[in-house]
Amino acid sequence: MRVKELKLYQFKNHRNASWSFGDKINAFAGLNGVGKTNILDALYYLSATKSYFNHSDQQLLLFGTNEASVYAKLEKDQEYEILAGFGETRKKTFKRNGKAYARLVDHIGFLQAVFITPYDISLVFEGSEERRKFIDYSISQLNKDYLHDLIAYRKILDQRNAFLKSLEGRLLDTLLLESYDRSLVPIGTRIYEIRKKFIDEFLPIFQEIHLALAQTEISVSLSYESPLTSETFSAVLQANSYKDVQAQRTSQGIHKDDLVFEIKNMPLKKFGSQGQIKTFVVALKLAQYQYLHRKSGDLPLLLLDDIFEKIDASRSQRLMELVCSDAYGQIFISDTHGERIRAHFAPFDVSFRLFELEPEDSV
Amino acid sequence: MALMPIFALMQFTSQIVEQAVEALSSFPGIGKRTALRLVMYLMNRPEIEVTHLADALIKLKTELHLCKRCGTVSDQEYCDICRDPRRDETLICVVEDFSDLMAIEATAQFKGTYHVLGGLISPMEGIGPSDLNIEAILQRVKEEGPKEVILALSATVEGDTTLYYVAKKLNEFDVVVSNIARGISVGGELEYVDEITLGRSLLQRTQYTIN
Ligand SMILES: Nc1ncnc2c1ncn2[C@@H]1O[C@H](COP(=O)(O)OP(=O)(O)OP(=O)(O)O)[C@@H](O)[C@H]1O
Ligand SMILES: [Mg+2]
Ligand SMILES: [Zn+2]
Repeated sequence: MRVKELKLYQFKNHRNASWSFGDKINAFAGLNGVGKTNILDALYYLSATKSYFNHSDQQLLLFGTNEASVYAKLEKDQEYEILAGFGETRKKTFKRNGKAYARLVDHIGFLQAVFITPYDISLVFEGSEERRKFIDYSISQLNKDYLHDLIAYRKILDQRNAFLKSLEGRLLDTLLLESYDRSLVPIGTRIYEIRKKFIDEFLPIFQEIHLALAQTEISVSLSYESPLTSETFSAVLQANSYKDVQAQRTSQGIHKDDLVFEIKNMPLKKFGSQGQIKTFVVALKLAQYQYLHRKSGDLPLLLLDDIFEKIDASRSQRLMELVCSDAYGQIFISDTHGERIRAHFAPFDVSFRLFELEPEDSV
Repeated sequence: MALMPIFALMQFTSQIVEQAVEALSSFPGIGKRTALRLVMYLMNRPEIEVTHLADALIKLKTELHLCKRCGTVSDQEYCDICRDPRRDETLICVVEDFSDLMAIEATAQFKGTYHVLGGLISPMEGIGPSDLNIEAILQRVKEEGPKEVILALSATVEGDTTLYYVAKKLNEFDVVVSNIARGISVGGELEYVDEITLGRSLLQRTQYTIN
């Protein structure tokens, strides 16, 4: 899949801007704050129906404006136009070829993108939610049923938690708890099974890419941690019901699953060097890309934000070599120095387009 | 068409008009623009007509009851359906609210009586089982001894939860508990399902078994 054209209207610092893209490398260069990352985020927005960085769409509106849109012309099996619009007083809509999706989730998976940013380090250092998001994003791009299960699980869990909270020492209505659990158990079990299968398929891809990137035989691994590994979900809920009432929330379940990163059989977070951690994280993201590619046959967009700040020169050269191969499709990359990007790609015979952003281009 | 004012900047020349616009624009789906159009319309109607409308609105609060038996809105102690001798008393259809009752009536496929819960179990909105008309349906089943209770609830998390909760409570009585075929409207609210589909799902209801 390729993006032929992108138009931003009042999206972050871009008042009215458009670009026509080449088939392989599209580079954005310019001073700090000129809006390079914002362009990558707009492409991500078209993929995920939300920003990679901002939790609320309100923060994406150009200061002082009250609506925004992101438009792209794509080439897939045929040509498509995607138009996302949102604002303070209007409902957010996504349109494909002029037709609005009934629900935003219906768009997920249509325009796949993998975003590599300096913030990815939070996969290692933040709580387990980041790692569950990584797993869920990878699977949801390809599996609609899984995505719907996640949404349903969240709804039931929110009600169950609100119920536990409403008790405040009052007698537990065991029948109501039971009615939440009987809905939660089959959905949670399905999610667990699919995550487990995902890790099994993902791990060898990750190891292969890590080896290609690090170019040293250093053992790396991922293991999926879930209470469902050793017990059924209903046993887990039952065993924790007293604790849940005390804590006023659901203490165990697939909403607490985690992914443990290991290097030389030790926890990465504690024992990885800075460079090792950066390489690990880039390999995770590239593996996510390859997982999506190999499963769907399509080539997702690859968004590389400030990649040269992240890894050392020899590894970044390795990275360029990898992404210039046929196993990767169209790439959007940002850097403060246009000539630095050009130099990185010079050794490879790929189409290269450089967009130099000037501060007045945008605001 | 007349020019429409910009509301943020608008200055009313009459407080009475302004109050009416404010009041109407608090209705769901009605913005200031529509509210003003309605006010202008009402200003041009004969007084008797407007008084009639105002009366009807006041009666909603002063004269409306909930039926003592089924819990639906009613002008009298018992609603028209409960007082209708042609309705099959051995069949009770449990619904979330009055608008779902209307939706099922519109299918013309159901000749039994109703029981209105007045909502669905939703702790997030502060609604627990005791806030709903659940005890009353158990009492009714005990006293009236119907053959079947049909649970016609939305296919949402809240609908599912309430369904299981009520079904399990009914389990101790000698009554068939069934639920409407909901595959067709998964995630859907009953009142938005078209009549034909809803009518069909009512006919294709299945016995609810607790596992
Ligand atoms: N809602 C918004 N309206 C207007 N400007 C915004 C909005 N949100 C962010 N910005 C501006 O966008 C700029 C940041 O853009 P961006 O992160 O894309 O820069 P960049 O070119 O990637 O810079 P760097 O090289 O430092 O990474 C900041 O100056 C910020 O003030
Ligand atoms: Mg940036
Ligand atoms: Zn009645």
